[in-house]
Amino acid sequence: MIALWYGILAFMLATYIVLDGRNFGAGILHWIVAKSPAERRQVIAAIGPLWSWHEVWLVGTGGVMVMAFPRLTAAAFSGYYLALFLILWCVLLRGISIEVGGHINDRLWQTFWDAVFVLSNILLAVLFGAASGNLVRGVPLNRDGTFYLAFFTDFRVHGNVGLLDWYTVSMALFCVLLLTAHGATYLTMKTEGAVHGRAAAIARRLWIAAIPAFLLITLLTWQVRPELFRGLIFRPLAWISLCICVASIIALLTGLRTGREHRALLGSTFLLFGLLMTGAASLYPVMLFSTIDPADQLTAPLCAASDQSLRIATPWWFSALVLAFIYLFIIQRHYSGKVNVSKDNQGLY
Amino acid sequence: MNPDFGNPAFWHRLHFAFTITYHYLFPQLTMGLAWFIVFWKWKALRTGDEKFNRAARFWAKIFGLNFAVGVVTGIPMEFQFGTNWAGFSRYAGGIVGQTLAMEGMFAFFLESAFIGALIWGEKRLGPRNHFLAAVGVAIGSWLSGYFILVTNAFMQHPKGYAVTSNEVLSLADVGAYLTNPWGLVQFAHNQSAALVTGSFVIAAIGAFYQLRGVHSEQAKLYLNAGTLIGLVASIAVAFPTGDAQAKMVGNHQPVTLAAMEGRFQGGRLADLAVIGQPNVEQQRLENPIQLPGALSFLAYGTFKSYVRGLNEFPKDNWPDNVELLYYAFHIMITLGMIFIVIMGLATWQRWRGRLESSTGLLWVLMLAFPFPYIANTLGWMTAELGRQPWLIYGLFRTSAGYSKVVGAGDTIFTLIGFAGLYFILGLLFLYLVGREIYHGPDTAGPDSSTLSNAAVSL
Repeated sequence: MIALWYGILAFMLATYIVLDGRNFGAGILHWIVAKSPAERRQVIAAIGPLWSWHEVWLVGTGGVMVMAFPRLTAAAFSGYYLALFLILWCVLLRGISIEVGGHINDRLWQTFWDAVFVLSNILLAVLFGAASGNLVRGVPLNRDGTFYLAFFTDFRVHGNVGLLDWYTVSMALFCVLLLTAHGATYLTMKTEGAVHGRAAAIARRLWIAAIPAFLLITLLTWQVRPELFRGLIFRPLAWISLCICVASIIALLTGLRTGREHRALLGSTFLLFGLLMTGAASLYPVMLFSTIDPADQLTAPLCAASDQSLRIATPWWFSALVLAFIYLFIIQRHYSGKVNVSKDNQGLY
Repeated sequence: MNPDFGNPAFWHRLHFAFTITYHYLFPQLTMGLAWFIVFWKWKALRTGDEKFNRAARFWAKIFGLNFAVGVVTGIPMEFQFGTNWAGFSRYAGGIVGQTLAMEGMFAFFLESAFIGALIWGEKRLGPRNHFLAAVGVAIGSWLSGYFILVTNAFMQHPKGYAVTSNEVLSLADVGAYLTNPWGLVQFAHNQSAALVTGSFVIAAIGAFYQLRGVHSEQAKLYLNAGTLIGLVASIAVAFPTGDAQAKMVGNHQPVTLAAMEGRFQGGRLADLAVIGQPNVEQQRLENPIQLPGALSFLAYGTFKSYVRGLNEFPKDNWPDNVELLYYAFHIMITLGMIFIVIMGLATWQRWRGRLESSTGLLWVLMLAFPFPYIANTLGWMTAELGRQPWLIYGLFRTSAGYSKVVGAGDTIFTLIGFAGLYFILGLLFLYLVGREIYHGPDTAGPDSSTLSNAAVSL
């Protein structure tokens, strides 16, 4: 039951990163792929209708975490206090910039909100990247299972670490690279004209750059947590996730080469998803690793709510998931295909 | 009581109180407006009269802006349980987390899938599907309210839980948890109050247009719907829901009732304080005007019922801010009575066909809309201050719930950050909504655009 809920939590977080990650990527590229105001509206329109549906995955992840792993929530959210509020404020500003940017047809107004949009998306990609680096590297957990993380300390990965060190910064950069490539792949599918051409070129270059970057980050991870790779061999779930990654890479590369844009997006989506799930499978059962003393780590059984609570939650969670995808299916049809600026106008006044 | 600035608990409480109070300014209107929009969409579908479509379209735009601010201010709340209330999350996460997660999974996915369709998809969806999108959003918003109220009801009157061997709470009976009688009463009371906010806002815009002599057909529509639902909802807030809520408090939190009424000595034939100032140091109500016996009757059903006073309870179980609790409760009640009078008069004038020409009453309606927001806020202050010093009534004290690793400095820093962000957000909201109201409902057709801006967003 605990393993199932660990899987559900990892699934929800990975889904959020994959879905909102393309919005981060599109946001990072906003000024690069779109030069004129009309082109910029095209980018916003590509992520417009469903960004709040994507963000619900973040809220849902938070709720599920409180419910299934109360002790993890208590330790991690309060320990990452300042970093988490930075993320929340960026999410807030990003949402507002999407909402109000198109409300007034004024060049200055839109430029301002475009800037908020770009900056908050860059920061979000960096922060989520650093957060994933933190999950792998661990945090300075005390005996009582709590910690309070500084922004940075001495940039080393053992002992009294901070949010940022050489490993988490590398991870953040890697994450920015992957999410930007993902966003470019998404924009390739959703847009036409000049934006489409630029996004497609960027997607190809970034995905090629991602290959050496991936090898490098794997090597760095080996340096920080060598035991994770040994564990990987005995995790069937990790093998499935790796297979998903390999299949996705093939889909992505052939999709990009032949201009099959849907296939490329599916490839990049499942590649990121597979990578995240592989990470989750290799970390299991540790939820918070201690950089001070590995004996103090918080594992899933230590963090989990009672078996009874989890048993009650299982059926309703699955039925809610089915409903969520039914809504998506119903609504997605209306947004499918290329964005059309005249058809998909915000109905402005 | 003087606030204890040196105690981190004070700052964590203020942090949560500020962010949730600000957040709830938006959902109360969302929940209040949702069914008006459904109603107008339905009328348009039935009669084919374009004026109903115009009304629905106009209010959907206000709804959309309001919804967006509600979403972005709501997301941090989910995480503040962990950031600022780690002790509480660890102790009760297994049970309150259920409804928090359900809210995300059942309500938010529904709302967020259809909100875009409701606001920007009229042309793409066609009238029938567009009506269904409105219904989906309305159900989603009320469902979300239900899950949050069940969570709060558990903190007020815990039901359906078990204590595990390692001293944390576990969900034992999901039925008892979800149908907590406190939660059902609170839901009825709170949703009526949201409808009061919605109908006062709608009536205010109707009065605004009527007084300026513009959009008169729409103004009439808003005044009719706003005053009728406004009267029904204002009465429902007081009776039966408010009455039931007070009885609930009297039965399960008698010390809270005593503090709400500034009642220090117990006794039969308890008087209801209409006006007065509680003096906690000298333990009496100063300058009171009281209705004899009314409190006994309202709380327990007979004039002879015994109503306990604060003195009968140990002082460390008293709500820690009796004065604020007393004032919040009394101002809420007073405003509630004024709402009934305003909406009663307006309905009477409308019935006589004179509402559109009653300039004085229209001015009152136009200017009255902030007061339901104040009353809703005061109602929540009554509920939450009255729960103190408990985080979960009778089980878990507030002083045990906050994050011990987060110092007061960091809490103050993020509180100031929220204050700054929310100030800007408030200005932005008022500017955009004001612009929308100024442009009025008669300018736009379905998805029409005078500008070539894109984004199909909310």
